[in-house]
Amino acid sequence: MTKEEGFDLFRWMATYDKRWIYVILFIVVLYPLMRPVGMPITVSELTRDYYDQINSLKEGDIVFDSWNMEFSGYMELKPGVLATHRIFIEKGVKLCIAFGHFEGVAIPDVVFSELRSVMQEYDYRELDDYIILGYILPNEAAVAALAQDFHGVVRQDWKGNPIEGTFLDQITNAGDFAMINDYTTGLATTFEVRHMVLTYGTPMVVNCIGVSIPGALANLDAGLYTGLLASTRGGAELEYLIGAPGPGLKSMDAFTFGHYMLIIFIIIGNIGHYGWARRTRYRDRTGIR
Amino acid sequence: MVVEWFEYSVTLVGIFISFCMYTTLYGKENPLRSWAEFSYLAAGTGVSVTWAVWYIYTTAIVNIQAGDIILFASIILGLMMLFRVHPKYSYISRVPLAFTVGVQLALSLRTIIFTDFLVQINATIIKLWTGVPKDFLYQVTIAVSVISILTFFLYTLEVTGPLLMTSKLGEYLMYIGFGAIFAQTFMGRLGLFVGYMERLTTPVWKQPYTIASAIICLLAAVFFEKSGLGKKLSAG
Repeated sequence: MTKEEGFDLFRWMATYDKRWIYVILFIVVLYPLMRPVGMPITVSELTRDYYDQINSLKEGDIVFDSWNMEFSGYMELKPGVLATHRIFIEKGVKLCIAFGHFEGVAIPDVVFSELRSVMQEYDYRELDDYIILGYILPNEAAVAALAQDFHGVVRQDWKGNPIEGTFLDQITNAGDFAMINDYTTGLATTFEVRHMVLTYGTPMVVNCIGVSIPGALANLDAGLYTGLLASTRGGAELEYLIGAPGPGLKSMDAFTFGHYMLIIFIIIGNIGHYGWARRTRYRDRTGIR
Repeated sequence: MVVEWFEYSVTLVGIFISFCMYTTLYGKENPLRSWAEFSYLAAGTGVSVTWAVWYIYTTAIVNIQAGDIILFASIILGLMMLFRVHPKYSYISRVPLAFTVGVQLALSLRTIIFTDFLVQINATIIKLWTGVPKDFLYQVTIAVSVISILTFFLYTLEVTGPLLMTSKLGEYLMYIGFGAIFAQTFMGRLGLFVGYMERLTTPVWKQPYTIASAIICLLAAVFFEKSGLGKKLSAG
């Protein structure tokens, strides 16, 4: 290998310390969150369809609200969770909340404290309007049993209050739910599709993380889902659609700049590769400098 | 006041511990990262065990008390699983394991053939022209992609002539698909990061602590590397 002298821009572009990417990413994300720019946003057809599905629910309809996410997933799905629950509360939809991950049990406090004002406005109360069942979706057998014989599996909520005498008396199996609303990082969602949607024909809408979107789109096309809210972007679009700006719209600037940053680094890396790495191989092979 | 102070302290520790965890991006060992990582593992394990016990209580004990005595069998099977840690009697745990695998397979096989196979194929075989040009473009793209990618995976005959062309087309279509999946993955990971940073910067009073934590942790990571203390003090 010949020793290279002087500054070579192509070489720098191909071999710079990759830790700079993380430093720049932190700056690119943090700055617009602290000083929002307000980049324009459009609402996709996907989000409009999701909104139409949610909006078609009537007062008193019971929704199986499945939170198949951990805290990390919640950070991505937060805009969708808040915007969708705002709609549920405003419409007077009753929620049966269940978790597919033990971390999920800590999320309702965060969500309902952020929605406190709208809950007070519509007098939306635990046990009367929503019931939190807790971590009851650990595996496929649990989901299948719950779908088949609801009260045979669950008799109390996560605080030990009996669910008998509440609006859940109207539920005998998964077919009695007006809709399944699922926030997912990919936990019990497939089990719900198999044992609630396929077996009982209950419509299901999903708010999934970005990694799961390609697979979720296939399920949407196949009719297994009736609506799909795609990641933070979908949540931001829903916030825009219902006129309730929240964390999603605030995040969109950081999102946009983050994507621009990735594109720039891909271009830099490729130019560096073709300009330096390939030229180095050519030099080594031919000896021509 | 006490509650406010408690929430305030928890938030500050949360912000700092988050950036301690992020020092892993620096690529060198340091005790802050070890502390954050082990704290998370300990807390996660504690919560996990607590909720597992709670799940057994609500779905088994409460239901047994309500007269569903068949659930005694599941308690016994669960206890048999614990023999796995005993070298001499670990074979006993095979019974509940076999039972679990059998139930899981039976539950999955009944429906997976529909959700992952028949319904998906059914969704692919659709009318190309529905009167909407945009939909026509989508349907044709799906049809061409499915057929050409399937020909790429033909291993039982020599791929020559027109098959070679569709196979090549399928290969390039898969590259496009992989590119789209990578982009979605990046968007998802960025969404997670942005969502968390949004939480660390809202409300505004958190912002100075966030920036201070980021700078302190970065400087600490550099210090631990330069001084050589990082490897010595971290748990590996």
